[in-house]
Amino acid sequence: MAATNCLRQNPDADIDEIKERMGGNICRCTGYTKIFEAVEIARDVIAGRRDPAELEGDEPLGQSFIGHNVRRIDAPAKVTGRLRYAADVKMVDMLHMQVLRSPHAHARILSIDTSEAEAMDGVECVITAEDVPGTDGFGVFVHDQPIMARGKVRHVGEAVAAVAAEDLVTARRALAKIKVNYEELPGVYTPEDAIKDGAAVIHDYAPDNVVKHIPLRKGDPQSGFAQADLILEDEFTTQQVEHAYLEPEAGYAYVDHDDVVTVHSPSQNITHHRHMLADILGLPINKVRMVMSAVGGGFGGKEDMIYQGMLAIAAMQTMRPVTLNFTREESLIASAKRHPSKVKYKMGLTKEGRITAIAFDMLSDGGAYGMSSEGVMRKAAILSCGPYEVHNLCVDTKAVYTNTPSGAFRTFGGMQAQFATESMMDMAAEALNLDPFEIRRINMYRAGSLTHTQHKLDRASLDQVLDAAEKASNWEKGAPSVRGATRGDLAGPDVRQPCTLGARIVAEARDLKPGDHPTATPTEAAE
Amino acid sequence: MNAITETRADTRHLRGRGMAASWYGIARTATIDRAGAWAELDDGGTAKIVTGVTEIGEGILTVLAQVAAEETGVRPEDVTIGDNDTARSPEAAHAGATRQTYMIGNSVALAAREARKVLFEQIAEIWDIEADSLRAFNGELWAEGTNQRMTMADAVAQCKARGVVPVGSASFTAHGTGLDPVDGKGSPWQTYVFGTQVAEVEVDTWTGEVQVLGIWAAHDVGRAINPRGVEGQIEGGVVQGLGQALMEEYITVDGHTTTHGFAKYILPTSLDVPEIKCIIVEDEDPTSPLRAKGIGEPALVPTAPAIMNAIYDAIGVRMKSLPATPEKILKALQDKKAGKAA
Repeated sequence: MAATNCLRQNPDADIDEIKERMGGNICRCTGYTKIFEAVEIARDVIAGRRDPAELEGDEPLGQSFIGHNVRRIDAPAKVTGRLRYAADVKMVDMLHMQVLRSPHAHARILSIDTSEAEAMDGVECVITAEDVPGTDGFGVFVHDQPIMARGKVRHVGEAVAAVAAEDLVTARRALAKIKVNYEELPGVYTPEDAIKDGAAVIHDYAPDNVVKHIPLRKGDPQSGFAQADLILEDEFTTQQVEHAYLEPEAGYAYVDHDDVVTVHSPSQNITHHRHMLADILGLPINKVRMVMSAVGGGFGGKEDMIYQGMLAIAAMQTMRPVTLNFTREESLIASAKRHPSKVKYKMGLTKEGRITAIAFDMLSDGGAYGMSSEGVMRKAAILSCGPYEVHNLCVDTKAVYTNTPSGAFRTFGGMQAQFATESMMDMAAEALNLDPFEIRRINMYRAGSLTHTQHKLDRASLDQVLDAAEKASNWEKGAPSVRGATRGDLAGPDVRQPCTLGARIVAEARDLKPGDHPTATPTEAAE
Repeated sequence: MNAITETRADTRHLRGRGMAASWYGIARTATIDRAGAWAELDDGGTAKIVTGVTEIGEGILTVLAQVAAEETGVRPEDVTIGDNDTARSPEAAHAGATRQTYMIGNSVALAAREARKVLFEQIAEIWDIEADSLRAFNGELWAEGTNQRMTMADAVAQCKARGVVPVGSASFTAHGTGLDPVDGKGSPWQTYVFGTQVAEVEVDTWTGEVQVLGIWAAHDVGRAINPRGVEGQIEGGVVQGLGQALMEEYITVDGHTTTHGFAKYILPTSLDVPEIKCIIVEDEDPTSPLRAKGIGEPALVPTAPAIMNAIYDAIGVRMKSLPATPEKILKALQDKKAGKAA
């Protein structure tokens, strides 16, 4: 719609104007680039500069469909809005679910009184942890998370009770009638605090608050550091990041004619969810059916079964279909985030730039429940020291429980770890007066290299991607020593212009032709 | 260079470049991974594929249609892919770990190959030739070195007329091992990918704002089944990496969020997007039938460090704490100035 409006406002809009006019739209999958290209094609077709057949035609087909730009088979339904997501589906007699969420980060639940809510007209059921029929607990690695808070809440936004009612308004009103008595507990909000002596214990099974520690040991770091001409030590931190999929969590459940409890949701892992849900519901596995609804983005955030269990239990209690659609605000507080991390790094190198040893110590905020933390720590450790052969290393990655949300996010710890390593590589390159590509080539994996987990590689393509990126970017060689002011490879044909907000409006105000740029913004003019 | 660029060649707006390399493993980590698929060559020369696939926005359904078309001889638009349903489709497990093209792609390739074999055996008997001389592509089937040729629709009909439904099934396995609990020794994946990105940035030293103007992203994907889809994944990864590098931060105070909506939680929008140049490198994987690897997660890994290295190149401050917000950049610049003055 923004694109259509853009071309209506200005059929000759250039790429900068298209970007500006689409600035209010969020896309999390495409990186926008393909959308811009599509709008530019549409603009040219409308203006008669391009043949409309281009919109239909495929590229000429060669000898194979592999490597061929076949048009996306799911695109027309998505672009026209015909694809139905879980939140779009309505069933006869469907009930609406709403969830009562914890206002506290860490608190004991002394009592929950649902009687007043249950007595309301239109309320079909109110469920709490007491209503879970089987063995409660889910998680990607450790099943430490109950369907709804059991005995205590461990993060703000945790589900405490759920209502299924004839309509959404009744369900919301019923939430207000549920009385929960909490006894607030001391909270733990940083991983550093979580591992201090005397820190509040979040899960009884883990008195030290440690979810998982992954150690890697290879060679002899002590002698490696002794051989080093240069030793660098530093710390790097990364933040909590929200997945921000465009489709918030949504789903619906019903019990079918064969007594199969069926849940439709945009889950990233229905196989595992079915396993866990069968145990939680106390049903044979073939009496639980998970169906994947269309997914509007996931990025790891839809691997956790944070609402499907409530839907299933409500459907079993009422024998009616039940739907639940998170609001954006609910999605933000109830779902997991990328693990924040702190890495303490020590790297030793010879003066020629060869790494002699690395000590890498990552502490991560694992949040209130285990979710994917174990896997995230494992991947962070395995990838930690980057694509370089390091003969002597000592790597530790540790995730700990806190009263915040953390879980799986695209790269599963790989990004957090390699941000630290790639920063260190450039710092080492500057200290040793080496080009950043060169120092990486000196250390890179090759066929026959032993990885940080001592896996012997049959092949490694790092040399090829280094060459490709260096050539494509027309990289000017040199040590990374703040040479931005003097380098000659900037502002080439492959970079965009910096944007100045409001530039088009200023230009229009000055009655310039579309496509012309103002010579200065008001701020700059005032300089 | 236009007027804007010229006005920006000043002391306020400083440019720089940085790069970063990366690596990643394909499919589930430190364990055996598995995926199953069923294939049927159906009436009208179409193909039906059923597998536990999750189209999460990356284009996997198109990839599987291409793979099934390539292996059976039908056209990609004639492939129907069944819904993912634990009661109706074989297990292919989760949409994550950069595993769907690799695990499910190979599984579908093997299942489709098996269905084609059933069809070829029947047609070979009809034509009285060896089955291995048969070829099928883009809706047609023919015998090499002869003038025998028919449509896939006719081929399926003739196969079925002989009482045979051309079906196949397959399971694909990726062999990873767990890690030793003491020293972490293990072979967590059977194939790896590598990437390198270069970033060009402009830093506004008055406001601390960073604009990423260009990203060159070279990634090994094994074999690009749909190059445009690979570019889409790289572009999406780069922009997500850019968000993490410069602006995104979910903040909690004593466990309570202060970023409770998209008014507070800042995401990259169209104006933040750099020109992205994708360079697809194809180092084919010899351990799997398709020889493809994956790109979903790896595309994001080098972006943030490349941007931080570029910021250093531009203004001489090293951002070690993500995100490099304008506030942090300004503070770092002030600290640098104070340090020099001291």
